[in-house]
Amino acid sequence: MSSDVILLLVIATALAFDFTNGFHDTANVVATSISTGAARPQVAIGFASLLNFVGAFISISVAATVAKDVVDAEVITPTIVFAGLIGAIAWNLITWYFGLPSSSSHALIGGVVGSAVAAVGFDAVLAEGLVGKVLIPAVVAPILAFGVAGFAIGLSYRVVGKQRPGIVSRGYRYGQIVSGGLLALAHGTNDAQKTMGIITLALIANGTLGAEADPPFWVIASSATAIALGTYSGGWRIIKTTGTRIIKMDAAQGFSAQGAGAAVILASTHFGFPLSTTHVINGGVMGSGAAKRLSAVRWGVAGNIMVAWLLTLPAAAAIGALTYGFTRIFGTGALGPILVTMMALSLIAAAFARRAQSGAPVEATGT
Amino acid sequence: MIATIVHTDELLQTVAASLIAGIGVTFLFSVGIWGAGQFTELSRANRPVAASAAAVIGVLGLLCVAAAVITGIVVMTHK
Repeated sequence: MSSDVILLLVIATALAFDFTNGFHDTANVVATSISTGAARPQVAIGFASLLNFVGAFISISVAATVAKDVVDAEVITPTIVFAGLIGAIAWNLITWYFGLPSSSSHALIGGVVGSAVAAVGFDAVLAEGLVGKVLIPAVVAPILAFGVAGFAIGLSYRVVGKQRPGIVSRGYRYGQIVSGGLLALAHGTNDAQKTMGIITLALIANGTLGAEADPPFWVIASSATAIALGTYSGGWRIIKTTGTRIIKMDAAQGFSAQGAGAAVILASTHFGFPLSTTHVINGGVMGSGAAKRLSAVRWGVAGNIMVAWLLTLPAAAAIGALTYGFTRIFGTGALGPILVTMMALSLIAAAFARRAQSGAPVEATGT
Repeated sequence: MIATIVHTDELLQTVAASLIAGIGVTFLFSVGIWGAGQFTELSRANRPVAASAAAVIGVLGLLCVAAAVITGIVVMTHK
């Protein structure tokens, strides 16, 4: 009975995490299209939400990685998964409150690894999967997006360089409907699958599913719905962040940045690599800017991404471990997770209230 | 040991697919825009044959973009 209560808490928390993931990432997905004038904000956001939803259904490779290749599902309990989720949410909340860059995806993986280590020891961590499928792709993907966008925009300028600017701008703006759509699809498929993976891991840990089971349809559908609703609710309050804070871009740059981001995320998703989609999108935006003029790029943002990458995993892991330790003070039942949930909700409400009093957060965190 | 951990094959395929799709699609779309631009210019210059040829190249570029996008999504959904 108490195990089922914890499982319900995990599912609700994971879907809430998925919603906030979409909420935060609205800016990253649609900013490029809006900043180049390719789409009106409401149209871009609605389109992105729809394609986030559709994207969640096109693959389950990343979900399988999160559920089976990062920690040993046979020694994991729903409480460990719950503590990991709280670690991720707490780190995202801390970085959001202080305006620091972050990665929700890395926080999620870090939180679960931290709580698993605290509960079972390092034997619970599948080092091969963690390093080979999470850490190395996390480094490679943004650099790859940077290179692809840089080459692509260089090639584009050579092909259309002698054409009239009007037709070129108009053409790439139309193209951004496709590239922006693909980026939203890619974002939906990679990010929603992380939630699917976490819920599946909890279902396996609870004995509801077998060790090799894939995510059930209701898990896929609920994760898709949560991220799509989150994206739609994200609004365009924070759209300026990605679209204009890194470079001021033209439509061709927007197209190549979105195309590079979508290509890298979709290819990585196919092989089951859970990525920070924000890092990849920013990598593409910086690549398309650097190819035109190195000084056009605000390299401080790249530095922030590096810091985020270095800090997020260990910080979320530490909070996940502490959360697991706290829940165990109250035994192995549901009391610990229930108390943690109440504390987390109170802290979130307090943080939002203080932010509302002191002004909007400095920057959006990403995934 | 390191090769086992790194998943070299999958990583290299990801890099190759990203390069081909990301650069290829942008290039082909640019060819489409080039075709449209040339068609407009050459039509104004009363060169209908050259304008038609540019239009055909442009349309082919855009069709290749559509084919690449559809292929990518089909590959994604069939694993």
